[in-house]
Amino acid sequence: MIETTQAQAAGATPAAPLQNTPLTDTGIAALAAEKIRARLPDAILGTYTYRGETTLTIRPQDLLNVARLLREDAELSFRHLANVTSVDWSKYPGYSARERFTTVYQLLSTNSWRRISLKVPAPGGDSPVVPSLTSLWPGADWPEREVYDLMGVRFDGHPDLRRIMMPHSWPNHPLRKELPRGGERVPFSMTWEDEEFESFGKQIIEARAVQQVPPKQADANKHMILNMGPHHPSTHGVLRVIVELDGETVVAAYPDLGYLHSGFEKQGETIRYKDFLPYTDRSDYLSSMCNNLCYSLAVEKLMGVEIPPRAQMLRVILCELQRISSHLLWMGTHIMDAAGMSHAMLMYAFREREQLLDIFELVSGARLTTSYIRPGGVWRDVPPSFAERVGDVLRTFPAKFDEYEKFMNDNPVWRARTEGVGKLTAQQCLDLCITGPMARASGIPMDYRKIRPYSGYENFDFKVPMATEGDTFARYIVRLEEMRQSLRIVEQGMKNLPDGPVWSADRKMVPPPRQELDVSMEAVIHHFKLWTEGMTPPKGEIYECGESPRGEEGFYLVSDGSAIPYRLRFRTPSFHNLQALNTMSKGRLVADLVVNIGSVDIVLGDVDR
Amino acid sequence: MGLEEKLPDEGFVTTTLEKAINWGRKYSIFPLTFGLACCAIEQIAAGGSRFDIARFGSEVFRASPRQADLLIVSGRVSQKMAPVIKRIYDQMLEPKWVIAMGICASAGGPFNNYAIVQGVDKILPVDVYIPGCPPRPESLLYGLTLLQQKIQHERLRDRRYGQRSEAARPLRETVASPKDAKVAEPAVRYEPKAR
Repeated sequence: MIETTQAQAAGATPAAPLQNTPLTDTGIAALAAEKIRARLPDAILGTYTYRGETTLTIRPQDLLNVARLLREDAELSFRHLANVTSVDWSKYPGYSARERFTTVYQLLSTNSWRRISLKVPAPGGDSPVVPSLTSLWPGADWPEREVYDLMGVRFDGHPDLRRIMMPHSWPNHPLRKELPRGGERVPFSMTWEDEEFESFGKQIIEARAVQQVPPKQADANKHMILNMGPHHPSTHGVLRVIVELDGETVVAAYPDLGYLHSGFEKQGETIRYKDFLPYTDRSDYLSSMCNNLCYSLAVEKLMGVEIPPRAQMLRVILCELQRISSHLLWMGTHIMDAAGMSHAMLMYAFREREQLLDIFELVSGARLTTSYIRPGGVWRDVPPSFAERVGDVLRTFPAKFDEYEKFMNDNPVWRARTEGVGKLTAQQCLDLCITGPMARASGIPMDYRKIRPYSGYENFDFKVPMATEGDTFARYIVRLEEMRQSLRIVEQGMKNLPDGPVWSADRKMVPPPRQELDVSMEAVIHHFKLWTEGMTPPKGEIYECGESPRGEEGFYLVSDGSAIPYRLRFRTPSFHNLQALNTMSKGRLVADLVVNIGSVDIVLGDVDR
Repeated sequence: MGLEEKLPDEGFVTTTLEKAINWGRKYSIFPLTFGLACCAIEQIAAGGSRFDIARFGSEVFRASPRQADLLIVSGRVSQKMAPVIKRIYDQMLEPKWVIAMGICASAGGPFNNYAIVQGVDKILPVDVYIPGCPPRPESLLYGLTLLQQKIQHERLRDRRYGQRSEAARPLRETVASPKDAKVAEPAVRYEPKAR
């Protein structure tokens, strides 16, 4: 049960009770369609339902009105814009006369926590234009810029439409289907004797810097423009922030992203479904288990496969351990940045974290990039010593959390630097599309483990920690409490861990075990098909997400019936959450900017992808 | 068991200036506080209490390139980041070394696509390559000890300003694999005491 009282006090919320909503996603979509038709009779061009989710195709000129209606209507109240993306249909089988580009929006109702998708065919052929949603959700700013940058769809009414990931001088829009993935040929048969080998490591090429375009809102005549990053110890990676200063007061902070843009989506669209899994580890490298899970959920949803209970339980246990390890790292680095306690907290946090990494290593063989949770199940069953190791964690961690809490809460420096700093109201969080602990610290009870339970989270007894202050201190409290709740989930999971297989029995997705190959011709065929071709989901498009330590981690997949995703969109929490930086820092001192960056808990791999 | 035990009674040793300087340099490599992606997390872990990079004299991570000796390129290098890394490298003062940590920094790794530079050695000279995705902290420490061996054998005249890129050492000496690891010569020569 979600505690809604605090949220109601903050004004974020939901008029109707959250639980026991009879509506399904399709149900609420039908209701929404009815309301739209009543007001705007020609707006809906089509409805499409797949795997229990409905997508409405909207006429471009009606997009703003439809979105406004969905957002303002008290019953529907689709106030969270979860995802903005686009699809280039030019290589899709059967594509002919319809519009080449389509923009896609996922909206979540804060009333019933049901989801609806909107699709807008973008008129204009190869240089498409659609209306911008920034007037309704200021948080649509970056996602729309990303779509423009990578896909070349222009947004009419966007205040600052320029590239966000690629350098400004980049010649094309890399996600368009006619462009190849790029990269280089990989020589597999190099020996020491090859002449080519000698040249490696000596071919120093020129790395020409691109003149940066400063944001047009920045006023260099009146204020001082300060560059921070991309190499700066407090930006937790390669974030660049252009800060406009009046004295020591921040007038505006403009993050400049893309310094770690790695082409995840393009990469995903050129390899098979199962092959993309290791990439998910490397996007948000502090929560690889959760990313694995979200991706697996998406692929399983596309395939329509059920996962056995033991695998589900193991997934939950490991994801919660991952959540603790991620929050520990956040705590160590953030406190080091803010409170000047040097390395103390970082060292404690890393000491504890190592214990968790040992568990990941035990089950998956890797500390960070686990690839343990896979579409169809988990890699292997856990070894016998797993229970003992997790038992150690469960026994020792609560006392340590108490110790940290005492250590931090009684620390005047820490409190002075965080209380009242980086305030966000619930309304601002919704406007900026913020999810995860940041939203919960501002009083929005949005935790996908509760509101749309997946992988068996509905069977666990845990609370969603909430706060209403919305400042950095509140975020710290929420994350600290989340670690305790995660321990509770792990404890229940270990207690109720059922026996049984850890792979789904669906042979269209999971290869048969070795023993079956000896006795069954069918098994041999399945095995051969899966390893030569890969799994082939039916045609369709889905969006599925889960709760990573940073917020909503979602995947939007479009299948064209082949073994390679036609479109793979990776919705990451850090990217959306970081948008709040400007709002949080405005009018505060430049020193608070560092605290604010830390409190967002960004992982740059997750921001830039 | 320290140096004191090994020194002869007279208290002096003979060595070359080059060796003495390199000996000093190799045990006080200050890395730059610089992280790119997943490998950076393992780099921080190497600085933690469990792996303790301080045992190798490299725990002092400097935030300014002007105070650092070692650039650990820990992660994938994007097209947008490449000029920045190049600039950071140029800002560092000689003597300076580069470790390409992980497969992305070494050769592009799994990201063989439009966004990623296929190996940081395309833009700056790399001294040690560490395989792994990400390498464990132990691998980083092993790479660091290999770099120390390399530093011990360096010629000072190769370090003259502007000499670096032309006099890049052959690659095969610097690949971090146990096969190619050489046993280091003792840094300080001494005569055993006659009995």
